[in-house]
Amino acid sequence: MAGDYHVGVGLSLLMYVALTQSWTVLSGMTGYVSLGHVVFYGLGAYVAVLLWGEAPLAAIVPLAALAAFAFAALIGLPALRVRGPYFVILTFGLAELAKYVVIVVEGWLGKFSRVIFGAPDIETLYYIMFGLAAAATLMTFLVRRSRFGRGLLALRENEEAAETVGVPTVRFKLLAYALSALVPGAVGSVMVLRQTYFEPAQIFDPVVSFTIVTMAVVGGSEDMKGPLLGAAGFVLLSELLWANAPQLYMVLLGLLLIVFVLFAPQGLSGLLPARRKTP
Amino acid sequence: MSLLALRAVSKQFGGLRALSDISFDVGAGEIVGIMGANGAGKTTLFSLIAGNERPSGGTIVFDGRALAGLPPHRICRLGIARTFQIVRPFGGLTVEDNVATAAMFGAAQAASPAAAAERARAVLALVGLAERAGDLAETLTLSGQKRLELARAVATGGRLLMLDEVMAGLTPAEVAAMLEIVRRLHREYGLTILIIEHVMRALMQLAGRIVVLHHGEKIAEGPPAAIGADPRVHEVYFGAAA
Amino acid sequence: MDALLSGQLLVAALVTGALYALTALGLNLVYGTMRLLNVAHGDLVMIGAYVAFWAFTLLALSPLLGLVAAAALAALFGLALYHGLFRRLLAGGKAAQRLEANSLLLFFGVSVIVQNLMALQFTATPRGYQYLDTVYRWGNAAITGNRVAAFAVAVILCGGVLAFLRFHVTGLAIKALIQRRDAAAIVGVNVERVQQLALCLGFASAAVAGALVSMTEQISPFMGFPFTIAAFVVIILGGLGNITGGIAAGLLLGVLETYGVALTSSAYRSILVYGVFVLILLLRPQGLLGGRRIVR
Repeated sequence: MAGDYHVGVGLSLLMYVALTQSWTVLSGMTGYVSLGHVVFYGLGAYVAVLLWGEAPLAAIVPLAALAAFAFAALIGLPALRVRGPYFVILTFGLAELAKYVVIVVEGWLGKFSRVIFGAPDIETLYYIMFGLAAAATLMTFLVRRSRFGRGLLALRENEEAAETVGVPTVRFKLLAYALSALVPGAVGSVMVLRQTYFEPAQIFDPVVSFTIVTMAVVGGSEDMKGPLLGAAGFVLLSELLWANAPQLYMVLLGLLLIVFVLFAPQGLSGLLPARRKTP
Repeated sequence: MSLLALRAVSKQFGGLRALSDISFDVGAGEIVGIMGANGAGKTTLFSLIAGNERPSGGTIVFDGRALAGLPPHRICRLGIARTFQIVRPFGGLTVEDNVATAAMFGAAQAASPAAAAERARAVLALVGLAERAGDLAETLTLSGQKRLELARAVATGGRLLMLDEVMAGLTPAEVAAMLEIVRRLHREYGLTILIIEHVMRALMQLAGRIVVLHHGEKIAEGPPAAIGADPRVHEVYFGAAA
Repeated sequence: MDALLSGQLLVAALVTGALYALTALGLNLVYGTMRLLNVAHGDLVMIGAYVAFWAFTLLALSPLLGLVAAAALAALFGLALYHGLFRRLLAGGKAAQRLEANSLLLFFGVSVIVQNLMALQFTATPRGYQYLDTVYRWGNAAITGNRVAAFAVAVILCGGVLAFLRFHVTGLAIKALIQRRDAAAIVGVNVERVQQLALCLGFASAAVAGALVSMTEQISPFMGFPFTIAAFVVIILGGLGNITGGIAAGLLLGVLETYGVALTSSAYRSILVYGVFVLILLLRPQGLLGGRRIVR
């Protein structure tokens, strides 16, 4: 295996592919843009941290995914009744709220931060992350071709009309939301094991949410390759800049978001000559 | 037994009584017109039947089944389809996909994307949109979008089709064309139609029976000729006879 | 219990409330007239704070004068954003359909850029200065002059804007725009000009609040964010576009927060603010504007 540094970059890339693909299952397909997706990542990480030592790795990752799924299913019902940009700021507020709740809970448990001992080696984590990225990409692919996906696209265009032609919008939205949380939960568990360190304020980082959205906007969220393009582009950028000039990286992120929102809302993927495939 | 039966249906929005004590039947295969000034409660009536709103009182029975409290998508599955006064196309989808989605999720429950597409093409041909099938819905003119709205509703496979001012905003030539399309769909699919219309000419020609609403109340019901002669209707539209 | 009843806490609550009210006032103006969700609003507060800071430390200019520069700078910034970014969106076209959502992403981008540019230029270390910090005794409360000044300026400004909206013809135009945008155009309101004015006023208000805050708090490039959240909570609480409502809600939030923190701890403060924020959004699923249908 290549040196640790390259594995680390690969891990980052795979992580963002997994996160962004999952994100598009909700936000690309339904139009309900989530700006707080880090909440699922953070919850997954927390579950992993709590269960570490009590359960085997093979159980922890799926459990983290399930916890995120359950949380999304729970909060999704009231949350998805909120429309448009209000949903966007709601998701953001939710992520921040979750962060502070975890901080307080950790305070009650007497922990400020946690360290993980005996974490799995980076190769194992790498393979798991690869599996997660593949799973997320597969999920996007399957959803797009399914009847479920058709319904989601219809409700994105006009929710009331979709309902009128028989699409069970409430159920579909909720399912999309919960599905979009599944892999991020697992990803969170893997990443916290990689870092071997857990601190709520650091894990529930809004920059992650923001990066996902930017990757999706720049890469494109209309098809499968968009998130791949976005993730690759940004990991490249971050490798060039993050160590030395993290603020510059963030400034570029912001600029790219603005430029693409204004001029190329379909993202890079949309700019490429498209093979007109039947949706 | 009638296909659709309304008994004492009412709807209140806060202090506003939009509909009170509405009762009438629609028999299978009929075309029943709903007439009334703006604000008479016509679209509210449709919303109640289609499940977009819940009645404050009364019952709505479709095909022997009470519709109370069912969500719109379930009511669509049961066989009721509607168009909207202000068209609501799935703008970013193609014309064909608009209609195919309806075929997939509506009462027709097309088994596969291919079956849905086939049904969609058939309906599009009947409304005259076959050549625009591959275009994005948002590129259609108003007349085209109205026909798309119609096609989509029909493609759901519902037995009861509710048309809300499909002629509004159309030129006389387009109205005549739309009239023909509605007649054709009525025949081909054996539909029962409930139609709200302001374009009197169209309504009188299409409907076998007309229900007149005024300020949320039913003030008249009968064949077009009778309605045309009804003094109460005259009073509401033209003022009391001198 | 004594602590709760102290005049000290009341003063702190009022000052915080007044500043929240001023900040929210700005956000209401921008949102009300153009339906743009300015998630960079708190960063305007930050910019104002930095302008006042530099005016004081470099030019020995009192923040009470520095705030004029802050206001002017913010207004110019607003104009630049308007012409550079939002003109395109507001005018129409495909992107206009998702105007509100897109504007949110745009402002988010702006926010990230502004924060990180400031951090690049001035580093992220918090700074502060002393001004008007002689302590006065009033009853059983010890308050500093700068807090009094902050409160006074905030109140005067809020009052001024309210009066402007009520009595001046352009102020009325702004209100008309907030209430019914299309109708306002029909009755002859110059929509383009009025909304730009509202934007400048809104941005300037936030910057002034920032200048006032700089007198009493330490400043840093990332300080704006809690103000953004607070401003959103306030305008949602008070009713979107409802200027007086926003002012009342700002005071309320200031009071709630100050007393809340006094009763528990600042770790819980964030839960309170975000909790209220989330709860309000969840309980008003119709999109906060009553029956307004949002077609995407």
